[in-house]
Amino acid sequence: MPQVLTMERKDMTEYKTSENKGQQGETLLKVENLYKSYNRNTLVLQNVQMALKQGEFVSIIGPSGAGKSTLLRCINRMIDPTSGSILFDGVEMTTLNKADLRSQRAKIGMVFQHYNLVSRLSVFENVLHGRFGYKSTLQGVLSLFTEEEKKLALEILDKLGMKEFAYKRCDQLSGGQKQRVGIARALVQQPKLLLCDEPIASLDPNSSKVIMDHLKDISETMGITVLVNLHQVDVALKYSDRIIGLNKGSIVYEGIPENLSNMAIRDIYGSEIEDLILE
Amino acid sequence: MEAASSVQRLKVRHGKIKIRTFNRSTFVLQLTLSFILLFTIIAPFFLDYSAIDIQTAIFYTLDNLKMMFLQPALNQVTLGAALYQILITLSLAFLSTLIGAVISFFLSIASAKNLMPSYISNIIIAFNSFIRAVPTVLWVLIFAIVAGLGSVAAVLGMTLHTIAYLTKAYSESIEDIDNGMIEALRATGAKWWHIIVHVVLPQTSSYMVSWTFLRFETNYGVAIAMGAAAAAGGIGFELFMASSFYYDLHEVGMITYFALAIALILEFISIWIKNRLIGSR
Ligand SMILES: Nc1ncnc2c1ncn2[C@@H]1O[C@H](COP(=O)(O)OP(=O)(O)OP(=O)(O)O)[C@@H](O)[C@H]1O
Ligand SMILES: [Mg+2]
Repeated sequence: MPQVLTMERKDMTEYKTSENKGQQGETLLKVENLYKSYNRNTLVLQNVQMALKQGEFVSIIGPSGAGKSTLLRCINRMIDPTSGSILFDGVEMTTLNKADLRSQRAKIGMVFQHYNLVSRLSVFENVLHGRFGYKSTLQGVLSLFTEEEKKLALEILDKLGMKEFAYKRCDQLSGGQKQRVGIARALVQQPKLLLCDEPIASLDPNSSKVIMDHLKDISETMGITVLVNLHQVDVALKYSDRIIGLNKGSIVYEGIPENLSNMAIRDIYGSEIEDLILE
Repeated sequence: MEAASSVQRLKVRHGKIKIRTFNRSTFVLQLTLSFILLFTIIAPFFLDYSAIDIQTAIFYTLDNLKMMFLQPALNQVTLGAALYQILITLSLAFLSTLIGAVISFFLSIASAKNLMPSYISNIIIAFNSFIRAVPTVLWVLIFAIVAGLGSVAAVLGMTLHTIAYLTKAYSESIEDIDNGMIEALRATGAKWWHIIVHVVLPQTSSYMVSWTFLRFETNYGVAIAMGAAAAAGGIGFELFMASSFYYDLHEVGMITYFALAIALILEFISIWIKNRLIGSR
């Protein structure tokens, strides 16, 4: 279909030469020719190409319905892509069987807008849920966690400033606290990649800053690649090593925050939203 | 990526804009209601009252009620025996509720649409509807063919109905679970059984307990009826003997009071459980 907004995508090699921050090394995730349609006649993702390096902090921005969540969910196969290739940590994700997919998923943490904690369980229990990817059925069902795993969970909670809430039930926490538990659950997986689907969309500015600071810190100090869907352009500009702009299922921008011009923002969001962004 | 944005044309009738469009379910509902209304009006005309003298009928009814409820007494059974029979009735109810609850738990997981493919859940739901459509008494009588009339057939029949009822109740509370929680665990690489034990169980257990107790109450009532109708023993059988064998209305009254007292106690416990478990969400 004719799409004025679709501009020539930059070549994959281009950002390699642009000023890379930090010690980012090998490519961890490589998405190629990714297509997704929920029904036959609409493509939610078309020809998405993307490569993430270890320890990189990348934001995906784009208007509502652009396919940001769909893209994120395709990566850990919560949604099956229609076609294309997803190479994560040297393994092709799209053709995995159930057992192998499970062990790949264990290496990918996911953080959600609505936290998705089991509300009647304690913070501690919820964080330990992140270990299930490494457990047999029986070990998981009987909650047989090792002392090391428990210590790891507490350590991570401590790092996120949530240790004192370990035995509190999750439905008694504030939004910002819940999201920190959500991040702890993802970190306890000892992941290589963190997928965050609008982690701050339900939070006030202060809590948002706390969460974003933690995510940034995770990518910088732990070397975990962080891929975040964001609504707020200013937040993306402030935290990202690289920004990917998605519009109607296609990548229309890709580059470092400094290069994100107003023109590019218009490409991503479409002209009708322009006033909102450029106030 | 053109969204299917063909807005449906507004429906106008007699120059007024309609709020609702025709749909099958409201049509069926309206049809059913009109039939019920029709039969309610017609039915009394088909009854034959000629053999009844209304005045005496009312007098005798009131007299019987007075004997039952104002002059209750135990004549054939002793107090201890009556209490013992109530215990038997409670046991029948307890047994069928317990067995039913355990089986229902597994069936409800299999019939919850958010955990299982819909064809499996549809099969179970269809079976359940069939079981529920046949009254408990009938199931008991069917089981009586193999088990003989008595407590075994009664427990089997009541269990079957309990399963149909609790599976539905349980699976509805499972379907109420926020899908995000299940998704979050799937994303960590958790197995299906991990999700059952660590999401489904904690999120639904209090509802399940309260539904189960509610069913226990119901089963207690059914067990009384089964004692009388299917010779399952217990207080229901004593009731049957008192009314049909000895024709002792005083005793019928007394036994009814006993049964009622227990039912009230169960009701209070049920409310208490509900408040304790669900109130403190
Ligand atoms: N399960 C689904 N079945 C059918 N269509 C879907 C499904 N999930 C998403 N879509 C459609 O795919 C498109 C992209 O949805 P997606 O949720 O990925 O967008 P998004 O960029 O995350 O939007 P938002 O910013 O509002 O979260 C939308 O048009 C949406 O209607
Ligand atoms: Mg989304």
